[in-house]
Amino acid sequence: MTAHSDETKQLRPGLWETVNERYPGSMITKDDFVPLAPLRKPLSESRLTFVSSAGVQPKGTMPFDVVHPVGDYSFRRVPSTSNPSDLEIHQIKYPTHGAVNDLNVIFPIERWQELAAESVIGGLTPNFFSFIGYNMDPERLERTLAEDIAEAVVADGADVALLAPA
Amino acid sequence: MSLQYLKEAVAVGDTEKLIRYVRLHLGDGNEAAGRKEIDKAWVEALKLLLDVPETDREFILKTLAERDAATLAHLFFHLHFYLVQRSGEWIHDGTL
Repeated sequence: MTAHSDETKQLRPGLWETVNERYPGSMITKDDFVPLAPLRKPLSESRLTFVSSAGVQPKGTMPFDVVHPVGDYSFRRVPSTSNPSDLEIHQIKYPTHGAVNDLNVIFPIERWQELAAESVIGGLTPNFFSFIGYNMDPERLERTLAEDIAEAVVADGADVALLAPA
Repeated sequence: MSLQYLKEAVAVGDTEKLIRYVRLHLGDGNEAAGRKEIDKAWVEALKLLLDVPETDREFILKTLAERDAATLAHLFFHLHFYLVQRSGEWIHDGTL
């Protein structure tokens, strides 16, 4: 987990202290932030991808390793044309009751499909991307999982990437 | 707890930190819950054997003899969650 050195940018003051109390030593300080990339064309002409830590994956793919004490550093490609019934969640660290009833509450794939069909956004990348957020090695997370997903996002021709924690 | 924190604890033999981490992991961030979860898994394993059912000891011994220690350790974590799930009292819905 990464702490921002600028406390004023915390969405929830005190969050890091809470996390650090529960998981001592999990905090790291980062000073080398990558600036947000500006949108280069209108959203209605942009191809959107979605990256989520919800642990959503196509049925039949290798389940995320939710029991490993150090975490799972792999990701799954989720075809953006998927029907929610084609997908499942492998995750035990956040409440999944609602998402099991309606996947869109955590992984709004049908909303993205609708927005693309209505030309609110230019289109969707062939795949969305999902992983589990329970990872105890922040450096490995950044070095492997984040890099791997970034490469996959670029390869899929995304103009816009929406990142959503579970 | 980061991996580095755990490795440092291993290096200095600080098992208290390691045990606390295991409890936090198995209790979804709640140490007391994690302790109960460990007990729950052992109780479930014990209950399954009280009637002395026939078990596949050949499989067990073969697995222990032929598989590497890391795979067996990974299996141990899987078995914990398997037994907890069998107990019917599942806390891992993220609400802790």
